Amino acid sequence: MKPLALFKSELDGFLKELSRDYDIFGPKRQKKGYLDWGEIEGLSDLDLSPGVTKTSIKSFFLPQPEVLFEFSTRAREERAFRLKEPKCPDRKRVLFGVRPCDARSIYLNSMPYKDDCYFQKNIERNIVIGLFCKAHLSTCFCTWVGGSPTSTDGMDIGVYELEDSFIFLPFSQRGQEFLRDKGLREIGQKEEEQIDAYKNHAPEGISEGVDIAKEFSQKSLFDLYDARFWQEVTDPCLNCGTCTFLCPTCYCFDIQDEVLRGKGRRIRYWDSCMFPLFTLHASGHNPRGEKVKRVRNRFMHKLKYFPDRFGPISCVGCGRCVRDCPVSIDIRQVIRQFLEI
Amino acid sequence: MSTINEKITTEIRKVAKELLEKDEVAAFLGYTEGTVPMVMKPFVARRPEDVEKLFWNSFCVLNLANYLPLVLQSLEPPRRPNDPLPEGPLPRVGVLATGCWSRNMVVQIKENQIERERVIIVGISSRGMVDRKKVQAQVDHLEITEVIEEDHKLIVKGPGFTKEINRWDVVRDNCKSCVHPDPVIYDEVIGDFSGGRQVPKRFGDIQEIEDMDIEERWKWFQEEISSCIRCYACRNACPLCYCPTCFVDDSRPQWVGKSIDKTDTALFHILRAFHCAGRCTDCGACESACPMGIRMRLFTKKLYKDCMELYGFEPGLRIDEPLPLTTFKLEDPQDYILQQGQKGEEK
Amino acid sequence: MEEKREESWQPKIIAFLCNWCSYAGADLAGVSRYQYPPSIRIVRVPCSGRVSPNMILDALRSGADGVLVSGCHPGDCHYISGNFYARRRFALFKRFLEFIGIEPDRVNFTWISASEGEQFAQVAREVTERVKRLGPARKLVKEIEPCPQ
Repeated sequence: MKPLALFKSELDGFLKELSRDYDIFGPKRQKKGYLDWGEIEGLSDLDLSPGVTKTSIKSFFLPQPEVLFEFSTRAREERAFRLKEPKCPDRKRVLFGVRPCDARSIYLNSMPYKDDCYFQKNIERNIVIGLFCKAHLSTCFCTWVGGSPTSTDGMDIGVYELEDSFIFLPFSQRGQEFLRDKGLREIGQKEEEQIDAYKNHAPEGISEGVDIAKEFSQKSLFDLYDARFWQEVTDPCLNCGTCTFLCPTCYCFDIQDEVLRGKGRRIRYWDSCMFPLFTLHASGHNPRGEKVKRVRNRFMHKLKYFPDRFGPISCVGCGRCVRDCPVSIDIRQVIRQFLEI
Repeated sequence: MSTINEKITTEIRKVAKELLEKDEVAAFLGYTEGTVPMVMKPFVARRPEDVEKLFWNSFCVLNLANYLPLVLQSLEPPRRPNDPLPEGPLPRVGVLATGCWSRNMVVQIKENQIERERVIIVGISSRGMVDRKKVQAQVDHLEITEVIEEDHKLIVKGPGFTKEINRWDVVRDNCKSCVHPDPVIYDEVIGDFSGGRQVPKRFGDIQEIEDMDIEERWKWFQEEISSCIRCYACRNACPLCYCPTCFVDDSRPQWVGKSIDKTDTALFHILRAFHCAGRCTDCGACESACPMGIRMRLFTKKLYKDCMELYGFEPGLRIDEPLPLTTFKLEDPQDYILQQGQKGEEK
Repeated sequence: MEEKREESWQPKIIAFLCNWCSYAGADLAGVSRYQYPPSIRIVRVPCSGRVSPNMILDALRSGADGVLVSGCHPGDCHYISGNFYARRRFALFKRFLEFIGIEPDRVNFTWISASEGEQFAQVAREVTERVKRLGPARKLVKEIEPCPQ
């Protein structure tokens, strides 16, 4: 399928047309000044300035909370204590303006969630329209961890933002079908040239020719685990969940039943390895009772355990944890320290 | 770098080095530079050569008292929970303290979280710390890649812009309304003390909310907390929050649900704030740590104001005074108590 | 919710009563056949000092339309000073709830002694009246929604 094009002035109409059949979400300027995901009804809601949104795209795939099933606890009711599948909304969602790093997180999270029907259901429900980056923030480092400003992992459709038009390219079967009857015109000669010359300002790589996923998988687990830098990394840490909750690839969860006034539901909600409760056993023993063990686990999981199991590093380099950590703990520094081991 | 901060940094290093070299302290708690502009990193210097990493500027927004109990504990010889403390004096820790941080240390001493003999407090009079969210708002939330601090202004740089900002314009609200910038307890002093400040409307921000009608206040509260992601950065940045099991982690009974729900989020913020009643010194660490820009300090400050109005108490000013909720007076006001035959107000 | 506002609507009010005075007071009201509305659900606690804000919020979260906390009169506490501590705690807490927009009449405090059966009935009527005037609580009630988003 050839790339399709849309003049910038037509985007508003395109979105409005789309919103008849889909719920559209995209980066929106929030009251407090930052960009975050919000419902889009027209162009005026959308803000495509460079950089990632405050929170990641994961809440569309791993909702906070995900209702697994519902039940009634009213003993008199006929269907009491029988499990009921939660109703799924009929309308599909379009996620517009997803940056390549966020899109890549969908691809990475799909690995551990391969057989998870809830995650797969959300994959079905969301059409991911990515937006390639023309500029990057000082906290971006996608090129360190296997991504790039034009990476297409996890996207159904990718969009180039040119001078006065948007170019849509499908990367999945679904993306192709989606674009088919949307009334987009074929790409012009001039635009094709512009794509070829699409200058993205990729963040500087860590160093020439270093593939850290490969590097780290060759390193000894024990050397990394017992490395001397952990104490210093941990010292300032507050053990809050900012990094894990803003991170697109932190996918850990906990499960709980909520019962109130005769109605009940089992929910799956975000958990964070930064919290002591995360590993607390019923016996009272906690294998990660100290702060240093929890901090180590977060980085080891992303940089060592995950690649050992699945291949790539479980980090997309969006830089959210770097940008919003209250005490400026920087995963890039930890990666550097890993390389030195 | 501003000459004021440069002077303080040099002095901090000197004092810290001396303390570490003479073995008076086993660790010194201060700040070092972070990797992102306007975020400083709390830092534990354990060797005399580490002190070169210590820095001081207007972005030291977190409360160092928060780290004290854990650092002190980490220096004790390992022992099992019920083993007695080893004999002889335990290693000490040096720590920087501005007015509010030192007041929090007073609260910690009163609540038996730290021992006065084990901390060497290096007092600094605070000039007010800068709110990075305010700086970001000044440049329309464009990315900031460098901030140079001078004595009375900040030079903010980003891709394609440079802007000069008056420092006082972006100082945190709690610092602007602070009347106790000088440390209350200290063993060493850096620089001069200011001798206290006068502030015209200390509780102006609270008054503004109190003046709204009840539905407006509810709307304000709902909106303020609507972006909360329940990361608990506010709780963890707070030197008062040291419960081994926080009420949000209780499961029997479960006071607060765990996921994002507007009632659960509201309950979390109400109870978190209330746990700080009569103890909070308005240091602003919670607000500075919040990634979502929630102004939860307004909640604790309301309680601060009421404690002053009702019981004439300000936390952390005197070490020999009990905390307001651990004591009482026979004549405490009780006009809120329902009297028989009294009619409710029509709202 | 609109239908609920009808005359027939009876609010649900959770009353935390201390074992030594207020609970006995409520008992006396019953024994003495003093009429009061059936809206009050009593939770017996050892002392008003035992009642923490968590409990009050939990009642509201679970759907109570109002809360009443009652202990011994100041000076009469079975544990000597429990209600004095409670008095400080609730003074701050009530003001705080009002600050964030919870109607003042939702959460009520009073002192009832063991001999004040009639007064208990009166307070129960009064609190019911106040809560009725406000209508059903909705601000801090947790709803289990079928499917978020």
